[in-house]
Amino acid sequence: MIRKVLYATLASLALTVSAARAEDTIVWWDFLSGGDGVRMKAMLEEFNKEHAGKIKIDATTSEWGTPFYTKVQTATATGQGPDVMTYHESRMPLGVSEGVVSPLTPEELAAAGIKASDFSPANWKAAQGPDGKQYGVPLDIHSIILYYNKDLLKKAGLLGDDGKPKGLDGAANFDAALAKLTANGVVGLSTATADNATMWRIFYTLLSQQDGQFVKDGKFLDGDNLDKATTAIAEMQKWVKTGATPAKTEYPASIALFTSGKAAMHINGVWEVPTMVDLAKKGQLFDWGAIQIPTFYAHPATWADSHSFAIPDRKGNPVDAAKRKEVLDAIHWFNEHSLEWAGGGHVPAYLPVQESAEFKALKPNSDYVSLAKTAVFDPVSVLAGVASPVYDAAGNYVMPAMNGEMAPADAAKQMRDDLQGQAK
Amino acid sequence: MLRSKRSEVITAAVLMAPFVVIYGVLFVYPTVKMVQLSLTNAPLIGAGKWVGLDNYFRLASDRLFSVAIWNTIYFVILSVAPSTLIGLLVALGVNRLKGWLQSVVLAAFFLPYILPVSVVFRIWAWIFDKDFGVAQYVIGPLNGGQHLSIFRTIPLFMPAVAFVTIWWLIGFNVLLFIAGLRNISSEIYEAAGLDGASRWAQFTRITWPLIWPVTVLVFTIQLILQLKIFDQVYLFANGGRTDATIVMVQYIFKQAFQVNKGGLAAAAAVVLFALIVILSVLQFQLLKARGAR
Repeated sequence: MIRKVLYATLASLALTVSAARAEDTIVWWDFLSGGDGVRMKAMLEEFNKEHAGKIKIDATTSEWGTPFYTKVQTATATGQGPDVMTYHESRMPLGVSEGVVSPLTPEELAAAGIKASDFSPANWKAAQGPDGKQYGVPLDIHSIILYYNKDLLKKAGLLGDDGKPKGLDGAANFDAALAKLTANGVVGLSTATADNATMWRIFYTLLSQQDGQFVKDGKFLDGDNLDKATTAIAEMQKWVKTGATPAKTEYPASIALFTSGKAAMHINGVWEVPTMVDLAKKGQLFDWGAIQIPTFYAHPATWADSHSFAIPDRKGNPVDAAKRKEVLDAIHWFNEHSLEWAGGGHVPAYLPVQESAEFKALKPNSDYVSLAKTAVFDPVSVLAGVASPVYDAAGNYVMPAMNGEMAPADAAKQMRDDLQGQAK
Repeated sequence: MLRSKRSEVITAAVLMAPFVVIYGVLFVYPTVKMVQLSLTNAPLIGAGKWVGLDNYFRLASDRLFSVAIWNTIYFVILSVAPSTLIGLLVALGVNRLKGWLQSVVLAAFFLPYILPVSVVFRIWAWIFDKDFGVAQYVIGPLNGGQHLSIFRTIPLFMPAVAFVTIWWLIGFNVLLFIAGLRNISSEIYEAAGLDGASRWAQFTRITWPLIWPVTVLVFTIQLILQLKIFDQVYLFANGGRTDATIVMVQYIFKQAFQVNKGGLAAAAAVVLFALIVILSVLQFQLLKARGAR
């Protein structure tokens, strides 16, 4: 009798345990705020609804940049932290060296249906560590693009019949176009000339268009890369010197200059697309468009980074195998649904979505999706990535040069020496 | 006699124990650990190898660290004495007001003090914004009709941050000075008035000597506070030429949290700690000596 009761109790206990197991919680940390945050929350809700009773993602958002990454680092070191987190691909080298991220084996990736062939090679590779292991799965490719005001370009004769700008390729042509716009009394090009991240993105784009390499074999701006860096900085300086681009403009002000119709063109990240879309929807914006950054030098290339997903390497309390499987399945789900994420201006990393008819119909994304093919990801270095010493260096050297406070050659040299000194 | 003394000792020990324990655990122990850490090449988290005084040698040869020291001292010069003196002036003014008017004016000066630094940053970044800030209506004409980015123009950066800091924290100084002024008996002034002392004589002979201890206190609090300057400089410089305006705590933050060099950051923290101890003891002794004269 007693035995029977015992068995019954055990059985019911087992049932409760499995019932509890039935809805698993995935703890999720991200750094997505603003429009990205709203969009991700909607996607998380959709995921939870679809997986109700089975899996629930419990998401927390922390402040972008150093605060987020410091929190992840301290949490994982003490065996705490989430089951999955967003991670910038550019930040992967530092993350791997800090032991924050856990490698994903080919077997478990395959089991979740995640294939390297579903991503562009450069994008996939940017989530690898120096050891060649995969540490992340990309969700998107985000980059900078050229926003333009069709009315103002038309007035200056710079708009083609297809509604896209013409005659902007080649540094000399671009400068001539700026001169035409300035002659019409408008700001030729607004961009955040007081923001180090924007400086870095434009600089790295122009450097990559000349095949310049920022870091090679642990050496910063080695050999003729220094001259290419100087050329890139000199071009940026020219925009300000000729009066086409306002100096020392803060990030929000640079957007306002464009959206208020004062600036004909604007260079900023794809993440500001929703800003324009929303304004246009309310009827508060002129006829606008966005294209890939023009080709100034040898060939097209654009700075790019990726929001990717990674599993933290929680010391002494690793994410168990069953949870890892669920996490990777969830990551795959988010990639399959990344069309919604593309609404935030991003280019989906997952090629089946990037090449789908639905995405091709999505404007203006499809006008600049070509940048994904020639995207150049941040240099592989522990000093590079978002909120890194490389970003700081862009603020300390490229910014004053662009604003006319430093000679381009000096800026390039000082940037090289500074970063080389920190690499020790 | 002896027994009561012993029981007094026990009582004293029992009463002091909580403080001593908390002080030891939360201050002495971490400080010792920090000094230990500064002698290793540890990352932000985890153990490192013993490297002796290497981190200190590295600091001595790091140009950025000397920039940080000079910027910190420059900021202290720009903010400590002015905020003490302005605090005294405002307190003298407020003290002459009566009734509800005094309360309203005092509250007006104290209001910024209760704001968090992020709000202070937002307010002044907006006021000074190069393109859309209201202050540009004043700055523009002074700058030949051109708008000027205050926080992105290096020579203006520290004075501007010092100005904002004084605006932000002055209320506390005013409060301390008012408490000091109210402690001065009005009879002294009445007697002086009967003797025909002028207002200036009353200030230099009565108010100034009697308010001196409060002045020393305010000055010392401000000195220690401003040597640890971080938030405002970090926020206003964020995204800009951070190296040109870096201060010591920011240098520590950069080394520890951005580039993962815990040992070097600890060494810089030890230097800052020593600097604060030396400067505050020195100035307190100096000012006290002057006051006792």
